Amino acid sequence: MAEKIKIDVLTLDSVQCAACGYMMESIAALPDDVQEMIEYKEWSIKTKEGVGKFMEMKGKVLPSICIEGDLVFESIIPQYEELIDAMGERAPSSVKERLASLRDVGFNFDKLQENLKKAGAGLNTKIA
Amino acid sequence: MAKQKFIDAVRGKRTEDAPWVPYAGVHCAFLINEPADKFLQDPELLAKGLVETAKKYKADAIPLVFDLSIEANSVGCDLKWWPDNVPSVTTHPCSNKTPEEAGLTLPTKDTGRWPVLFEAARIAKPQLDELDCAIIGGICGPLTLGSHLAGVRIFTDVYKNREFAHAVLEYAGKIGAVAAQFYAEMGCEVIAIIDPVASQIKSETFKEFVTPYVKPATDVINGADLTSSFFICGDATKVMVDVCELDTHGFAIDEQLNLNFIRDLAMKYGKGFGGNLKLTLALSLGLLSPREDAIVSLAAGGHIGFTFAPG
Repeated sequence: MAEKIKIDVLTLDSVQCAACGYMMESIAALPDDVQEMIEYKEWSIKTKEGVGKFMEMKGKVLPSICIEGDLVFESIIPQYEELIDAMGERAPSSVKERLASLRDVGFNFDKLQENLKKAGAGLNTKIA
Repeated sequence: MAKQKFIDAVRGKRTEDAPWVPYAGVHCAFLINEPADKFLQDPELLAKGLVETAKKYKADAIPLVFDLSIEANSVGCDLKWWPDNVPSVTTHPCSNKTPEEAGLTLPTKDTGRWPVLFEAARIAKPQLDELDCAIIGGICGPLTLGSHLAGVRIFTDVYKNREFAHAVLEYAGKIGAVAAQFYAEMGCEVIAIIDPVASQIKSETFKEFVTPYVKPATDVINGADLTSSFFICGDATKVMVDVCELDTHGFAIDEQLNLNFIRDLAMKYGKGFGGNLKLTLALSLGLLSPREDAIVSLAAGGHIGFTFAPG
């Protein structure tokens, strides 16, 4: 699939901060079919790049989830359906319908650690 | 150092000046040149780090550990260890079944890392008493523990599968009561229920799924005539009144809340309040001067019920 939905998760540090950890998990535990449609990354504010992303997104609180550049979930860990709907509203037209068909699937924890690793969760949390 | 001053502040009383509590956590490991994973599993290192940190920072109180994986690990959640951080919970035994269906039982003094904590407290307590420094026992709060047990689905279940969510959180509340009893036996003068993810929900969800499941722990703490607190992180504005209505003597917040707002709310409810030296902006990143930030916090906090601490 050429077009992917871009998700940025602004955190303090998803290892140290439980709220940040479960904000990251809300994306990493999306089912495989949704994983194919998204690309996402953790931006810890402990790094220079994370501070830059926080400023770029005009972040106000941590943790926050940005979808396609919009601050969508600020200090609220989303429900599964809320996440799918928020992605659907910002998705390329080519994937909207497929995403909507996955609204009732629910979270899947089978590849959680693998997905978190791909998103850089816990790997870039040292003070730069 | 002044243990009683800290207890008085958490109970909302006037103090001569604000007690100071570094929530040092794995920073204690850094100060004794040990990796966090080794430090958290070795009672002698834990005690050594704790006492040295209390001395270095002239603490009026210090948490025995600041690690929210202890309860979850003691009932079967697996962990990933880090050399410079607290461990992360990697498996959720209630991701597709209730605690009862998963066959989960309550922790005992022999499960998980509870033996490490009992031994660390035994070693550290007399030394901290000599320094007149209180020990804080930190319990993983019900919603954070519920998240460890069931995974992020718990935030959907509180709306869509309420019976399941209540089953998980009721179990988490019972674990909290057991942990409170353990920390009381270890000699902790103040026991805090630490529930960082409770800031990530709406007020009505807090009232239904957090408030009732904090009570088993506060019943134990208050019943033992010890001092209770509730720690919350992040932008908790929407649930702060609910926090004030919990049956704890005080609460603590982090850098994302305005201390003037928090002070006025705490005074209204007669609660002690702690915070909020900016952990990220000042202490970690240096974007603000830690000294000036401290002066601002101390001025805002005042002398009634205020504990000066990082947030």
